[in-house]
Amino acid sequence: MATAAPQYPQSGQRPNIPSATVRLPAVADYEQVDREIIGTLRPTLGWFALLGTAVLCLLIGISAWMYQIYSGLGVAGYHPPVMWGVYIITFVFWVGIGHAGTLISAILYLFRAGFRTSIYRCAEAMTVFAVMTAGLFPILHLGRPWKFFWLIPYPNWRLIWPQFKSPLVWDVFAILTYLTVSSTFLYIGLIPDIATLRDRETNPVRKAIYAALSLGWRNSDREWRHFTRAYLFLAAFSTPLVLSVHSVVSFDFAMALVPGWHATIFPPYFVAGAIFSGLGMVFTIIIPIRKYFRLQHYVTLNDLDAAAKMCLFTSMVVGLAYLTEFQVAWMSGNKFEQEYFWNRVFGQWAWAAWIMLICNMVLPLSLFSQRLRRNPSWLFILSLFINLGMWFERFVIVVPSLSHEFEPWQWGSYAPTWVDYSILLGSFGWFFMWFLLFIKQLPVMAIAELKEVVPPKMRHAHGAAPHPGGSDPQVTGGEGTGGRAPRTA
Amino acid sequence: MPGIIAAFHELDSAVHAIEDLRRNRFNEITVYTPTPRHELEHALEPPPSRVRIFTLVGGLAGATFGYWIAIWASRYWPIVVGNKPIASWVPYTIFGFEVMVLVGSLSTVFALFALSRVPRLTMTVGYDPRFSGGHFGVWVMTTSERAREVGDLLRKHGAVEVRHEA
Repeated sequence: MATAAPQYPQSGQRPNIPSATVRLPAVADYEQVDREIIGTLRPTLGWFALLGTAVLCLLIGISAWMYQIYSGLGVAGYHPPVMWGVYIITFVFWVGIGHAGTLISAILYLFRAGFRTSIYRCAEAMTVFAVMTAGLFPILHLGRPWKFFWLIPYPNWRLIWPQFKSPLVWDVFAILTYLTVSSTFLYIGLIPDIATLRDRETNPVRKAIYAALSLGWRNSDREWRHFTRAYLFLAAFSTPLVLSVHSVVSFDFAMALVPGWHATIFPPYFVAGAIFSGLGMVFTIIIPIRKYFRLQHYVTLNDLDAAAKMCLFTSMVVGLAYLTEFQVAWMSGNKFEQEYFWNRVFGQWAWAAWIMLICNMVLPLSLFSQRLRRNPSWLFILSLFINLGMWFERFVIVVPSLSHEFEPWQWGSYAPTWVDYSILLGSFGWFFMWFLLFIKQLPVMAIAELKEVVPPKMRHAHGAAPHPGGSDPQVTGGEGTGGRAPRTA
Repeated sequence: MPGIIAAFHELDSAVHAIEDLRRNRFNEITVYTPTPRHELEHALEPPPSRVRIFTLVGGLAGATFGYWIAIWASRYWPIVVGNKPIASWVPYTIFGFEVMVLVGSLSTVFALFALSRVPRLTMTVGYDPRFSGGHFGVWVMTTSERAREVGDLLRKHGAVEVRHEA
């Protein structure tokens, strides 16, 4: 466990804090940052219990998958015409979860939003593990999962290549690129922090592992100069990438002539939904972490407030997209579209649509209240509703469309089986297993970046420096690189 | 080459020391800092990083490869889909873009490693674990004749420790 947290200002009356000037008043110096963040790495009984639960869930999922491989995809509840079910829903769900991590780590970095500093490491790790989870589902969905590599273009004895006009091949490129770039981004950001761990570690085995992972990083000015540039460019690449990935995922649907799917609104609608759901998961993860590790003076109420505003904004974008879909169907004059959208809210799957609308459109409106935005308990509860609502959003997109296509004789129904539910549970086990392992091996917050926010020790107060050399040193207390963007280059 | 390593606990002391060293024509200076600081950069005035060149070349190469592989494979195995051209540049922009990002990012990482000279199997002489904590380190390469001068200068600016390293 971490050391006892110092008192920090819990002011509920600071409404609009300019996020670019975020400071951590309860953090005195660099040593405190090292001590408290590294202190979170000690395993505890509660952590082992959570890890055991996650592994158990994963084992349930693996068992169900093995049963499915043995018995065939029929055990998964697929029933014509609904041949996409929980696996595709959950695939889209986890890809979406990953998006907020990149939003927070890359996009907010480019916009110099200071509140990202304390939460981005968790969000980045969440991204990598969420995309790792998502990547499993198209494979789970295959009848012969061991042939998944046929989607990758490589010279082969079959002399055949993937169909590059197929959205499924687009998916492969987008998801693999996203996984590679987000993992790289996470690791590069971790290198200086791993070097800090290496220098503080006393256990020789762990020290050797950290030494290997830190690649001999020394915190020299040469390393930082190239690091800040590389980090900036990776952020610049990640920003359009995050927008492209969920657009490509949305093409899986939008390219088909199925009512409810064939819409040009899908790419922005999916991207906004992905960021919204990811922010929900960030709250689900970061709020218990800040409480459990007593890191409230790092992830302050101001940070939560700012993130909640983003959540509210994306919720409203998603809500607008929901309503626009109805408007487009109404104005299209296309009776299939109109019938489908009527069926969405009043038909067989109306309950799912109303869960979606309430969780994603109505409940987040509570964030207009500053009191609720600064209430971690409410944010945590709301985040659970958002996670639920966003899973059901994908359910509403997939199942009602397929079960209610053009001809009434084609209409059908769908009911997930215990195999679907077990694999869904297993995906949460897989995700949280990796995340729990991560938070006990590597720092949950970016030590080097937090130090940028903490004013360094100064020998002379600003404005009164008796400089032995005589010239104006231009030293200003507390001026970091403002998020790793150097003056030069 | 031998040199002097000094540890500073205060940022402004380190900055003043660097400025004085440069004024006295000691230009082989390496600074260790737990976090990047503008003040140190101003004092050192380093040249621009060349990472961007690698990023640009990698990105362009990736975009070219992404378009090429899709067009080449489509022509190698020509199947008309949806009455679209065999090589349809609009959907193939997805491959051009994704591979541009992939190769551009990996090139950036390669540049970071190559230019920073990592991975490094052994620590540089003079490195101290305190430099990833709360101290700033200033390493000056100098001859043994001028070592005393450098040591005195660093101490004058408040170095908490000054060591001669061979």
